[in-house]
Amino acid sequence: MDDQYCPHCKTTKYRNPSLKLLVNICGHSLCENCVDLLFARGSGSCPECNTALRRNNFRLQLFEDPVVEKEVDIRKRILKDYCKKEEDFSTLREFNDYLEDIETIIFNLANNIDVESTKKKMEEYRKANREQIMKSKGKLSKDEAYIEALVEQERCEEEEKRQMYMLQKTEEKKKKTRNREALIDDLMFSDQNVEDILATYEAKSKDVHRPLGYGSIPITVPKPATKFSSGIRVGVRGDENFLPIPKLEETLFIYKAVTQKTFGPAAPSSQEVETLGYTKHVRPASPQGIGGGYQSMLACHRAMQDAFCGLFYVPEKSPSPTPSVSSTISTGSDSTEMDVS
Amino acid sequence: MATHSGTADRSSRYEKIDFLGEGQFATVYKAKDTANGGKIVAVKKIKLGQRSEAKDGINRTALREIKLLQELSHENIIGLLDVFGHKSNISLVFDFMDTDLEVIIKDNNLVLTPAHIKSLTIMTLQGLEYLHDNWILHRDLKPNNLLINGQGILKLGDFGLAKYFGSPNRAYTHQVVTRWYRCPELLFGARIYGIGVDMWAIGCILAELLLRVPFLAGDSDLDQLSKIFQALGTPTEEQWPGMTALPDYVEFKKFPGTQ
Repeated sequence: MDDQYCPHCKTTKYRNPSLKLLVNICGHSLCENCVDLLFARGSGSCPECNTALRRNNFRLQLFEDPVVEKEVDIRKRILKDYCKKEEDFSTLREFNDYLEDIETIIFNLANNIDVESTKKKMEEYRKANREQIMKSKGKLSKDEAYIEALVEQERCEEEEKRQMYMLQKTEEKKKKTRNREALIDDLMFSDQNVEDILATYEAKSKDVHRPLGYGSIPITVPKPATKFSSGIRVGVRGDENFLPIPKLEETLFIYKAVTQKTFGPAAPSSQEVETLGYTKHVRPASPQGIGGGYQSMLACHRAMQDAFCGLFYVPEKSPSPTPSVSSTISTGSDSTEMDVS
Repeated sequence: MATHSGTADRSSRYEKIDFLGEGQFATVYKAKDTANGGKIVAVKKIKLGQRSEAKDGINRTALREIKLLQELSHENIIGLLDVFGHKSNISLVFDFMDTDLEVIIKDNNLVLTPAHIKSLTIMTLQGLEYLHDNWILHRDLKPNNLLINGQGILKLGDFGLAKYFGSPNRAYTHQVVTRWYRCPELLFGARIYGIGVDMWAIGCILAELLLRVPFLAGDSDLDQLSKIFQALGTPTEEQWPGMTALPDYVEFKKFPGTQ
């Protein structure tokens, strides 16, 4: 519902449709104009948190919440160092713990929890695993290699298809010219009727004009299932489904109208008040009242109920002389009401 | 109802166990009813207001609550068990309720299934139907006032703003209902209104149960109206007859609403 807006100059997307929010490593957003103004010299500090920032580190805010941007930044930085792969661990459990550690560090840094100790921890890790970090720097991870292979394979397929198509097209062209030549030859030298020759030619050329497209070449290469390091398979339709949702058999709710003991004849219902013309005898609602949701029917209905209530009431012969008040319909008369006004 | 026995033994009948909370007008204690087999109850001790507030000697909200609740008896309405005075204080004794809907909505560890939401809504609506059938408007429905006991029964509580309705020549105040649950006619200053004020609040509460955050959280009365119209579209005089006749009507930007 809320528009994008720059926290520094308070411009909103509504007022400036070309508003572009940028974000830096600290996770506070600024609009393009503010960045131009505040970072005219190339560097400065964030107006929100005073972190020293450089202008060329600003980039377009992709997520609505700038905190997410900050986390993405931190994640990128952390994963540069924490780059162990599943095959570096003996058990899946250890690998998962390792991933858990990474998430904790990212969360801590993103939310400013124990920044100092977390940084210290990271430094220690970096020292301990320096060799491995250096080694794996240029190296592609298994997943990345796999994705690259997939992309390459797709490219090859596309190329092959294209060549097939070109081949078919030239073939078609050749056939067409051959047909034409044959027609001219026939017309020049054959003894047949001109109409017949033309008819056979038409039929032949129609055969050639069969629509040909990419789709006419069936692709038979089955798509291999993508397999992630977590073991989740994507792309194969297996039998693995979600757990069945337990079905609860319960008795459904049945509406029961509220019944009231009125000690009197049944008062007309709200519809009857209207249809039987009782409302003619009360003041119609003012426009203001109608706007507020008041109808003259309401007052009439209530007055009827008040009038009918208690007509058949016979005091029980009980030892206490006061009749019970609690169980009858509440017919609070207006004189006893209090009002705030 | 309350028997008129001596008040001295009444105040000693309820043994304070715990302090539960403090509102604008009252403090609430958890107490043990020694005369009723140690039943746990909630005792609401009405604070003595300023002299101007208590025009007739007793706090107005307390009087309303006592007056209305003594006549009402329904499973989904808080039960007023006893009323007694002690020195210059008035105390109301209610059913003890473990929690309220606000706590439940805010507790992120709780998962509310559609079945839970349906059940809570039905209980609220049943209590409200009983109230409206008896010509009473609650006028302060919000999750905080929907109390829930250990058996999972929801009861409407806090009748400090409740009032009889359906009288043509009586104007009411429009400064009722917590803003987030206040309906547009009240925000436009309507002085004569009907059950719509409660129904609107119920709708907001249902939305809040589903969203787990307040649906229309305006930070001023005008902002509240623009939040409502942003969500539901700005009504026109044809859709809402009499809207422009309301005392505080102001024209709003035409929002298309989300269908």
